[in-house]
Amino acid sequence: MAKVNVDELVEQNDPETTPERLVERFGRDFFRDFDIDDPNLNEHFHEVIDLMVQKCPVAHSKVGTGYYVFSSEEAVRRIGQDWQTFSSAKGYIPNRPDDQPLMIPVEQDPPNHTSWRRALNPHMSPQVMEGIKDDVAREVNLLIDKFIDRGECEFISEMAGLLPGRAFFIYVLGVPVDDLPELVHDVDKSLFGPLDQRTTYHKKVYDYLEAFLKKRKDMPPQGDIVDTILKGVTYKDGNEAPWDHQVSVVLDLTYGGISTTIYALGSTARHLADHPDQRQQLLDNPEWIENSVEEFVRAYSPVVAMGRTCMKDVEVEGVSLKEGDYVMMGFSGAGRDPRTIDNPKELNFEEPTVHHATFGVGPHRCIGSHLARMELAVFIREWLKRIPHFRVKPGTKPVYETGFLRAMSSLMLEWD
Amino acid sequence: MRMKVDELLCTGHGRCAKFAPGVFTLDDAGFNTAAGETVDVPAGQEDDATKAMKACPERAISLAD
Repeated sequence: MAKVNVDELVEQNDPETTPERLVERFGRDFFRDFDIDDPNLNEHFHEVIDLMVQKCPVAHSKVGTGYYVFSSEEAVRRIGQDWQTFSSAKGYIPNRPDDQPLMIPVEQDPPNHTSWRRALNPHMSPQVMEGIKDDVAREVNLLIDKFIDRGECEFISEMAGLLPGRAFFIYVLGVPVDDLPELVHDVDKSLFGPLDQRTTYHKKVYDYLEAFLKKRKDMPPQGDIVDTILKGVTYKDGNEAPWDHQVSVVLDLTYGGISTTIYALGSTARHLADHPDQRQQLLDNPEWIENSVEEFVRAYSPVVAMGRTCMKDVEVEGVSLKEGDYVMMGFSGAGRDPRTIDNPKELNFEEPTVHHATFGVGPHRCIGSHLARMELAVFIREWLKRIPHFRVKPGTKPVYETGFLRAMSSLMLEWD
Repeated sequence: MRMKVDELLCTGHGRCAKFAPGVFTLDDAGFNTAAGETVDVPAGQEDDATKAMKACPERAISLAD
């Protein structure tokens, strides 16, 4: 790790950013010693992220072997696009245990990463997602049917936690519908269940998806994404991608898409519940819904930050990084960067050209971004048709969790 | 008006075709079909093309000439 004078990273002589003031306000000096897993970050999330992108766009962490967090949209874009200098092949989470298998293709670099993406991208294009829009709208309505007469719902377990799993498993992966309730339940438990049970449920999901892939191997091809994964790709050394990489691709698609979309749906619903004026804007101008999706994902990025390993000495935003240093791209901050967005804390549904890094930048651009955008737009449209006015249930508080992902585990909504 | 689409920077966000479908189209993988080329913006579609250029998260589209 390069020798760091952390005080040089923070604006000098600013009473708001002294170590004492930050500890007093947030319980930790997140600028000089960031920790993505500190519960204080969960508690003060947007306050920390907003102050950081404004006054300390390069933060430092002493956790484990240490890392940097770059929050400005420009730096995030530069790091994401320059994959030769900033490699994904050593993992996207800091202080990653050596024995943890790499996720494919997210923890690969070109050209092997490119081989997978070329094969997979056509199954996840905007055109393909347009074709399953009506199916997703039907799913949203079936879920609403179950609770609309009750006048309230627990949004995460009754809508957000179910829709992305159903959309992905039925319409993208083609898992038998009978298997769904258990599979969606297991995915949910592996993400939000009691901490000591999450590994068990994750293993269950892994075993199910591996068995599913094996079964499909013996069936006639259907021309879908599963066939493409089974067909596999050839790596640059001339070898075929091994079986565990093929299973990893299915896992990567599953976990990359589901938990992130749950949060995107949850934060969208909460924002609309808390802002009747903006809800009315979408009721009056349904043609703004697609723009609003960009604003929701910009302001409430499900991925807090993703990491890269420096492959050579390099300078970013005036900081000298050494080969081997670990850097994180702060997607949450990049979407709320006042250098690129006017009034970043406000959501503006009229503005069409929204800049954010929520779906990543560079070759690792989120492969499910078009599925997520479509799901969010369909959800907003269908929900507002049937439940135009709703609020967070008085006396309840939405529950969040934060790590490298921002997540919501409970949101009580009610309507008249 | 002419616009250049950078071949290496386009990663398939698809925002360009959303804002200027008469100027930019997507291939089967969802990438700009003009990646690596310069396109003539048809008369009357300059505003859409400018929106598309501004909306690209990779800044892969720029004014040519």
